[in-house]
Amino acid sequence: MTPVAIRLTVNGRPESLVDVPSGERLLDTLRWRLSLKGTKEGCRTGGCGACTVLVDGRSTLSCLTLAREVEGSEITTIEGVGRDGTGARVQEAFRAAGAVQCGYCTPGFVMALTGLLKERARADGFDALLEDLGGNLCRCTGYAAIVRAAAALRPGTGAP
Amino acid sequence: MADFELVAPATPEEAIASLRTGPPGAVAVLGGGTDLLFDLEEGRSAPERVVSLRRLPWRTLEWNGNALTIGSTLPLRTLENDPLLRARIPGLHSAVRAVGSVALRQRATLGGNLGRSAPASDLVPMLLALDAEVLLLGPAGERRLTVDGFVQGSRRTALGPAELIRAVRIPEARPSAYHWQRVRPFHDISHMAVAVAFSPSARAWRVAVAGFPPRPLRVPEAEAALGSARPDADAVHRAAEEIARRAPIVADHRASEEYRRQLVRPLLERAVDATVRGGR
Ligand SMILES: Cc1cc2nc3c(=O)[nH]c(=O)nc-3n(C[C@H](O)[C@H](O)[C@H](O)COP(=O)(O)OP(=O)(O)OC[C@H]3O[C@@H](n4cnc5c(N)ncnc54)[C@H](O)[C@@H]3O)c2cc1C
Ligand code: FES
Ligand code: FES
Repeated sequence: MTPVAIRLTVNGRPESLVDVPSGERLLDTLRWRLSLKGTKEGCRTGGCGACTVLVDGRSTLSCLTLAREVEGSEITTIEGVGRDGTGARVQEAFRAAGAVQCGYCTPGFVMALTGLLKERARADGFDALLEDLGGNLCRCTGYAAIVRAAAALRPGTGAP
Repeated sequence: MADFELVAPATPEEAIASLRTGPPGAVAVLGGGTDLLFDLEEGRSAPERVVSLRRLPWRTLEWNGNALTIGSTLPLRTLENDPLLRARIPGLHSAVRAVGSVALRQRATLGGNLGRSAPASDLVPMLLALDAEVLLLGPAGERRLTVDGFVQGSRRTALGPAELIRAVRIPEARPSAYHWQRVRPFHDISHMAVAVAFSPSARAWRVAVAGFPPRPLRVPEAEAALGSARPDADAVHRAAEEIARRAPIVADHRASEEYRRQLVRPLLERAVDATVRGGR
């Protein structure tokens, strides 16, 4: 009811946001308050991964996250991910593999992969890598180039 | 989405007080929010107050010998990444990985999965096969229910007014497996799923099926048919027939009854084989 001010760090910059309604999603905070339009809205129901950002280093669906629930957290979006060594490597892998067509899914994929690398989850082989990318949809590429980019980032996954 | 008051109490006592003092029927509990936000957006739930559990000290995971206690607000991804889980309870590891995507599991919780108790929950059938208990905390203190007693129907649970799921306790690690059928193998809803575990202490199988309404359930006749620790092909076949005969499998908008019944045998065969081999 009473909208309140919250603090977030977004791409390394402290942001103080006022009058944030309880129901405001992080996706809308980023796109409409902060004009960071790189984070995409695909489905708004958790099904496509286009809205993936990092919250304290972990990949998170910004469409299913209330802004006030992540108060005090560090948010990284596609606009800031290249400032970090891991994020920059993922971006370069996408470029090198030609993994971008219309580009709508690309920010989500880059954030999801950056999150996976940062988490340093066990490399369980190629199948597990594909499973871990299963939440991100792409309507253009047929995935082959995206999978190549991902495989290049996780050596030892046994990828072809 | 209608506006609501969002509170994030720091202690379980404050959380329960906040649930009790809220307008009756107009208070909702927020775990990871992956289900609740959808309900809010659709107007299926229009609470005046939402009590977020994010500050409660329940993001815990504790091995006590062979038993595992999982705090209700622990993100499922953290559970999945526990270094011991996969080796000790492989079926639970697979079931957790079956929930949504990595980014969804970074927020989704076990408390939320049980709180929702969807017919197609991937965790409830595995918890049934592990004889898991739900630890509840409410105005009258703590109580303990089996998962079987807690889940009452599609989205219906035994949760009382102002009561919260505090943790889930799995009494012993078990060789186990979870197999499912969906349109997309990952990030989709299971049409049919089979959870299997072998209890080393009881020397007995547990078999639960899920994916169809109203709720996941155990099939004791199939457990008996499996019999020994290393059932032969005939025993597995008989167990599959028991499921097909006894389980109240029905059609819904996702799959026909006939199709679901046909899925039982291959899923059970794979799950039993994986359990015996100690694989996935
Ligand atoms: C795209 C998508 C895919 C999904 N795929 C799957 C899937 O494959 N398998 C599957 O099983 N589920 C799936 N789900 C459903 C959901 O993500 C899971 O059920 C998840 O575990 C819910 O946890 P949460 O913490 O986000 O719940 P929330 O949304 O926070 O809560 C869900 C319900 O439980 C109540 N609740 C939450 N925590 C507690 C508590 N501690 N005590 C009492 N009540 C509580 C809430 O009030 C609410 O009614 C999917 C959801 C989405 C959006
Ligand atoms: S917009 Fe968030 S998952 Fe599709
Ligand atoms: S490049 Fe167009 S959706 Fe993936």
